[in-house]
Amino acid sequence: MEKTSDFFDTWLKSQETFIENWTATAKKLQESFLPPGGTGGKAPDIGGQGVFDLYNSWMTAVVGALKENGDSCLKIVKDTLSKTFSSSHAHTKLYEIWLPLAEAVRDNILNAESYKELIDPAKYKEIMDTVFGLTSARAISEYYDQAVRLMQTFGAAASGFVGPWTDAVEKGTKTFPQLAEGRPESLLNVFHAMFNAFDSTFGRAFHVPAVGKDREKIELLLRGLDDLSVYLAKNTEHQQMMYAAGLAAMEKVIETVAGNVRDGKEMTDFSEFFNLWIDVNEKAYYALFKTEPFSKLQGELLDSSLNVRKHFFKFMELYLYDFPIALRSEMDDLYKTMYELKKKVKGLEKEINKLSSQEAGL
Amino acid sequence: MKTPFVPPDPIKVIQELGELNRKLIKGASTLTGVDDIDVGTAPKELVYEEDKLKLYHYKQEGKVTCRVPVLIVYALVNRQYMLDLQPDRSIVRNLLQHGMDLYIIDWGYPTKADMYLTLDDYINGYLNNCVDHIRKTTKNDRINLMGICQGGTFSGIYSALYPQKVKNLVTLVAPFDFSTNDGLLFNWAKHMNVDALVDAYRVIPGDFLNAGFLMLMPFTLNIRKYVDMLDVIEDKEKLLNFLRMEKWIFDSPGQAGECLRQFIKDCYQENKLVKGELKVGDRVVDLKDITMPLLNIYASADHLVPPAATKPLNDLVGTADKTLYEFKGGHIGVFVGSKSQKELAPAISQWLHKRAGEETASRQTKASKGADRQEKNRKHRNS
Repeated sequence: MEKTSDFFDTWLKSQETFIENWTATAKKLQESFLPPGGTGGKAPDIGGQGVFDLYNSWMTAVVGALKENGDSCLKIVKDTLSKTFSSSHAHTKLYEIWLPLAEAVRDNILNAESYKELIDPAKYKEIMDTVFGLTSARAISEYYDQAVRLMQTFGAAASGFVGPWTDAVEKGTKTFPQLAEGRPESLLNVFHAMFNAFDSTFGRAFHVPAVGKDREKIELLLRGLDDLSVYLAKNTEHQQMMYAAGLAAMEKVIETVAGNVRDGKEMTDFSEFFNLWIDVNEKAYYALFKTEPFSKLQGELLDSSLNVRKHFFKFMELYLYDFPIALRSEMDDLYKTMYELKKKVKGLEKEINKLSSQEAGL
Repeated sequence: MKTPFVPPDPIKVIQELGELNRKLIKGASTLTGVDDIDVGTAPKELVYEEDKLKLYHYKQEGKVTCRVPVLIVYALVNRQYMLDLQPDRSIVRNLLQHGMDLYIIDWGYPTKADMYLTLDDYINGYLNNCVDHIRKTTKNDRINLMGICQGGTFSGIYSALYPQKVKNLVTLVAPFDFSTNDGLLFNWAKHMNVDALVDAYRVIPGDFLNAGFLMLMPFTLNIRKYVDMLDVIEDKEKLLNFLRMEKWIFDSPGQAGECLRQFIKDCYQENKLVKGELKVGDRVVDLKDITMPLLNIYASADHLVPPAATKPLNDLVGTADKTLYEFKGGHIGVFVGSKSQKELAPAISQWLHKRAGEETASRQTKASKGADRQEKNRKHRNS
């Protein structure tokens, strides 16, 4: 088991998983333009043991099954069941964390410092991810993968343009090892650097008007990826803030428990510990959420995710332009017209009713 | 020293986990046996419809003792059946038993076709049309408005714009002063790029708003609530109570983008309503024009709409007959708590009965003629 302090202090390194996948993605990207070479790396799965393994695998299967579509019962019942299982899963994870603490109490070795050696940080992170629904790096990688698959579609058509850009990708890829050690913004900087390299060389060709939609599509896709890297940096910062608050709260929980032990107060069962844990965390997160930096960061995180969405829609519009379907912007126009006409008709109806009433009153 | 905690004996661990599993399995079995979650069951009749809006009139099985009808205006966020969640937790049924004549607006579920709806459309359009419909069909010049949460803000705005149509105004946990940072939502909204949000979504998904609400008490609402529920899951009635509330919480309509854009910008970010700068349609809202009696109810432990956002209304209105009522509880407790049923509904009824006065049906009173004149003068001034 990794030490808690190490785990959270180097939590940013967990982004390495993402970067590995991202490297694979970059390779795939190159493969779409250049002769294939290399294979993508995959994040190793972390295993466990004992009764909890069995329990956890069962629980994961149940939760996963409940999250899938099905008509077996009412949606709200299904959702509740799914949430109940997820909550129980988090409850059990906390139980797993509590056990070594209880052992430490029994052996009279629990204090506010020693707990850091006793808590399994990976399990604790899992609880916090359940509470806040935090996005995993892997989910973002999957998004990249999808983007790459789209990119491959254009590979053949755009193959003549890719030289300078793939060079930039290659340069960026070389900096990945430093990234794993660094701050989240370094990822952002690398992507920006790559994008700028691309934009100032091969990208210039895109700015020449009326030379084909495929190039516009690629440019939009790349801009989307650039937005995604901004989002990722903000998301990492946000998660770091959340985990740090969670860790501080856990420290407070243990301090309280250790204090109770010192005072000879009995904490008779796990549910008492569970309630204390909930109350302390609720207060800690309320204090965090109320701060200006958190509110500001949350606003920026939302903004960056909306930018990704905006570019994605633009991209899809361009991609679907030649198909015989109504596009989002066209529907927006239609809705606007409907809205204005409705308003006009309602106004006219009111006028008619008013005139009719006046006439009837005469 | 006595050893606290139950020692981590492996048998004990397996037993405790086994017990949790037993509850879960039993719960899963009970839950999958639920085939209907009934909410909003007080009998009512659809009396007016416009686009996605529906206006309902509750059937009064007893005697109407308050002659001025009450229009309940709920928020655009979440659904109005919160006021009639279940028969024994229903402000609606409670008020009906006290002889009130009740109407309620169901705003419906906006789709992308509704993305351009503005505050003007909701207040000067839909709400005004509902009020006019009730005035016309009940032959009352003025009716009572009872606005809840954001619906209370809308009702306050409406009453300031159309004082000649409102006999009494009741607001429940409704925000007016958005300058406070007491509530997390108020804090967060100030940093939200609402233009980007609306441009990206057009109609903001209910789930997006729900995620924000859950973040207000993440551990209680995402973990404890469901773990605690396992203790009552074998009791079908209690389970149904829980599910009704779950249904309400996650039954969140999307929000028409343009309306939300103006509400967040003008109210949460710029606090224009209190400053007398909020423009709805072509008219500026002056809360001093609320000249009818006001009952302003706030919840002392409200984490969604803190008292600091609610209470200032009484200092901003033009009426001398104003009552500030403190409900000791939280936001949701106002509607479904047992105290609310015992205490709040009777208090609202009593307050309204007292002020219903001799409002006579089918006769335009001097007062309302005067108010009509005031309204004409104001329109003239505005133009």
